[in-house]
Amino acid sequence: MRIRNDIVIVGAGLAGMRAAIAASEVSRDLSIAIVAKTYPIRCHSVCAEGGTAAVMREGDSFDLHAWDTVKGADFLADQDAVEFFVREMPKEILRLDNWGCPWSRTQDGKIAQRPFGGHSFDRTVFAADRTGFHEVHTLYERMLSYPNIVRFDEYFMTNLVIEDGEVKGLTAIELKTGDIVLFEAKVVIIATGGAGRLFGFTTYSHQVTGDGLAVAYRAGVPLKDMEFFQFHPTGLIPSGILMTEACRGEGGYLRNSKGERFMEKYAPAKMELAPRDVVARSMWTEILEGRGLESPYGPYIALDLTHLGEERINERLPLIRDAAIKFAGVDPVEEPIPVRPVAHYTMGGIHTNMYCETPVRGLYAAGEAACVSIHGANRLGSNSTAECLVFGRVAGERAAEYALKKSYYPSTDFLKEEEKRINSLFREGEESAYEIKAELNRTMDENLWIFRNEDGMAEAVKKIIELKERYKNVSVADTSKKFNTDLTFALEVGFMLDLAEVVAIGALKRRESRGAHYRTDYPKRDDERWLKHTLAYYSKDGPIFEYLPVTITKWQPVERTY
Amino acid sequence: MDVIFRVRRFDGEKSYWSDFVIPAKKGMTVLEGLYYIKENYDGSLAFRASCRMGICGSCAVKINGKPVLACETQILHLNSTTIKIEPLDNFEVIKDLVTEFDGFFTKHEAVKPYLIRKEDRYSEPEELIQKPEQLYAYYKYSLCIKCGACYSVCPASSSRDDYLGPAAMTAAYRFIADSRDEGDGERMQIVCGDCGVWRCHFAAECSEVCPKKVEPAKAVQKLRFRSAIYMLEKFFIRW
Amino acid sequence: MRWLKWFEFRGKSLFHISYSLHRLTGIVLVIYLVMHLSYLTSIRIGREVYEYFTSTTLTPAFLIFDILLVLAGVYHGVNGLRLILHEFGLGYELRRPLLYLCYLLTLVLWLYASYQMYLFVMGV
Ligand SMILES: Cc1cc2nc3c(=O)[nH]c(=O)nc-3n(C[C@H](O)[C@H](O)[C@H](O)COP(=O)(O)OP(=O)(O)OC[C@H]3O[C@@H](n4cnc5c(N)ncnc54)[C@H](O)[C@@H]3O)c2cc1C
Ligand code: HEM
Ligand code: FES
Repeated sequence: MRIRNDIVIVGAGLAGMRAAIAASEVSRDLSIAIVAKTYPIRCHSVCAEGGTAAVMREGDSFDLHAWDTVKGADFLADQDAVEFFVREMPKEILRLDNWGCPWSRTQDGKIAQRPFGGHSFDRTVFAADRTGFHEVHTLYERMLSYPNIVRFDEYFMTNLVIEDGEVKGLTAIELKTGDIVLFEAKVVIIATGGAGRLFGFTTYSHQVTGDGLAVAYRAGVPLKDMEFFQFHPTGLIPSGILMTEACRGEGGYLRNSKGERFMEKYAPAKMELAPRDVVARSMWTEILEGRGLESPYGPYIALDLTHLGEERINERLPLIRDAAIKFAGVDPVEEPIPVRPVAHYTMGGIHTNMYCETPVRGLYAAGEAACVSIHGANRLGSNSTAECLVFGRVAGERAAEYALKKSYYPSTDFLKEEEKRINSLFREGEESAYEIKAELNRTMDENLWIFRNEDGMAEAVKKIIELKERYKNVSVADTSKKFNTDLTFALEVGFMLDLAEVVAIGALKRRESRGAHYRTDYPKRDDERWLKHTLAYYSKDGPIFEYLPVTITKWQPVERTY
Repeated sequence: MDVIFRVRRFDGEKSYWSDFVIPAKKGMTVLEGLYYIKENYDGSLAFRASCRMGICGSCAVKINGKPVLACETQILHLNSTTIKIEPLDNFEVIKDLVTEFDGFFTKHEAVKPYLIRKEDRYSEPEELIQKPEQLYAYYKYSLCIKCGACYSVCPASSSRDDYLGPAAMTAAYRFIADSRDEGDGERMQIVCGDCGVWRCHFAAECSEVCPKKVEPAKAVQKLRFRSAIYMLEKFFIRW
Repeated sequence: MRWLKWFEFRGKSLFHISYSLHRLTGIVLVIYLVMHLSYLTSIRIGREVYEYFTSTTLTPAFLIFDILLVLAGVYHGVNGLRLILHEFGLGYELRRPLLYLCYLLTLVLWLYASYQMYLFVMGV
């Protein structure tokens, strides 16, 4: 089947839906399709808890927000993009307000803000601890009011069609029927989120397998800065469910087995509210040095909220309390929550400029899938939902303008080819995608975790290449058509293997420590040689790397202390 | 402890039961059990899941006869050695535990579940004032994750395809009760209509099964009160 | 047979069961009403027919049906009042106590009515 639209947006998370709305606001004559492998309100963005950063009040300033972001990023962020981003952000908060988002309020009815790690002002706007949930629902509901946005829910993108340096469309499996569909479009926007499930212990939803990244990468679009992966300090053990940074923003403490607030050793000024990379490393050091608490699931650190009192916890952190009780059997009002650092955010992504344009004509990327690079080497909490809103809008507007100018529809015969490729997976092979994924997760958790070193990473690369080899022989046992999750799982594992390779080799090559990428063998930041973005291009024999200078406008790199 | 998962399967043509033995550990959820099946026994088992933290609404299934979120339900808390897992009622089954949700979302869409304002200020948005007590007047109803549990037990929905159902009604009330909303008339028209609140018989099962304690039945009841007033008003204004 | 779900008891809470019973008793009452009216109209065929019919309903064997009918009627009535209250958005928070009250009231009224009927039929 072929479906033709002016704009096709892949991914109905915050970024994708914001892009759809923005494009529709440019012109109601455009036909806009939004394709996603889940229903929009089941996207991963609903998991975002803590909040969204924006400069809203007296005392705060755009420069301050930008500086916090750049410093948090360990100076790998492109500063022109950051400056643009912070200026656009307040309007996005107000738009969501006008569209019905139930922001938490101050007593006089204004939008409330809370402190967050790495921000030097209380600038995180929030809706209890379900910020992402409410934002997604608000955008989804708003999106329903635009007649020219058509949803294709539960369509799994498998490939991107790029011919002669121009995007022609994409192929997807309609899960309900199992048919392969070709979407032809003037413009494609990729907003498929990060690649968090590369790791085993992670806060990510099961669906976040980096499909969009891998598909674009295979089609020849470079990926940027993939070696930077954020580890969040507080993941609930054993499931990895996030205990939002807002726990500490609201005044929670981190304690080791001796009951000490150990952050005073590592970040005496900001304490628990230092940026995530700093806190995660400190916690991991405590654990490595034997000051973690013991549990059947390994050592952990205590996240202590008991002094906040029941009322505040119920008002500001209801979801956290609920999750801790349901998933760990611990009531934070009475006991500290057992937590450990956990894989949380993909700083890297599809290489785009400030306008969300990729090197391919007609292809845009936004949200976590893109790397405009405002997060550099380490994202600040609550800057990523913000990024999705701002750059989702930019992508939507730019895409709409491009689509209005382009007079013809591309056409391609890619459908047959893709059908053949997918059908070839239904075969007798001896490898199981589930096993390969489990081994991949183990390797990543072991060798590309918070502290990295040459040997570990080299071993990971070897392992990943071996897994890729084995994957060639993977079999999909379920040959039925309707809702074949066996097939989609196998495809996802294929995507993840390619991405893991880029992450591991990129990390191996970067011989310095910057932001979230910390190497015990090169513990210092090296601005002379490594103040640059990594670009990875696809080739049959593994990624080819290039480097790109960082844009610096106002802030020269200085030492980062908190 | 070993537990048997008895899963209701459907392959597009016939329905049958499959049994799997799950080595349950303390803290293991039913969803993890389903993944265990997929990874170790039968890759063809189909179910929906994503967030595994009870917020995305994908994983609602019937466990031992009651609709719950699989990701929030611990196996050992069920206190039974055989756990029966079935797809939700009142939804057409596509495959195994996966059901057709398009209709459900269409019904949600039908109540205009978005903030309606007389003046749409897209390019120059302004901060609207909403006091905490105004927020709490509707906040609870905005927590619906659209998992479909309420719809699956609603007897009014089971026999009428056109009743919009508890989730849609809750969504309508959430916006009607929002102090920023100015679309009452438009939405009331739908809510009082033939497929609206008067189809409810107050079996109130929706409130009992809602995993997020949203209390759809309460929203419906509140809407009825408003509907009654709205209809009276309309009646007298016409006179 | 989707309407069978109206009477699905398994895994359901008391509220749903009350709903099912209400519907069930409603139907029983309608059937009774039809019967009742046809008995009464039988007088148009002749006095003997009418008397024959009514006399069968006054036997002790029939008492058991009457008692069940009253149970259905009382339950439907009392529960109906509860529903009317709720339908207008009142007393939602009290729904559990109201439900128990409704059962209690049904029981009391039913026992009392049964006792009276027993006395009447036995001719005491
Ligand atoms: C637990 C958690 C808490 C967080 N809390 C915060 C916070 O407090 N503040 C903050 O700023 N950020 C937070 N983040 C980060 C933030 O939530 C994400 O970065 C952001 O939501 C990403 O949004 P997105 O729109 O880019 O992608 P997603 O929301 O991941 O959406 C991806 C979309 O793409 C679709 N898709 C994926 N693959 C395919 C395919 N092959 N075919 C078709 N469709 C596909 C999916 O169905 C989905 O609709 C948090 C993240 C996590 C994990
Ligand atoms: C005390 C007198 C009565 C009261 C207070 C009462 C109340 C109600 C109410 C409130 C309903 C609606 C229930 C719902 O919304 O689901 C209802 C339904 C019904 N009633 Fe009655 N009723 C009474 C007497 C009767 C009688 C005498 C009959 C029989 C002739 C009867 C037959 C029915 C039927 C068939 C229904 C439909 C069942 C349903 O929708 O579930 N009722 N009643
Ligand atoms: S998996 Fe998201 S609600 Fe259960």
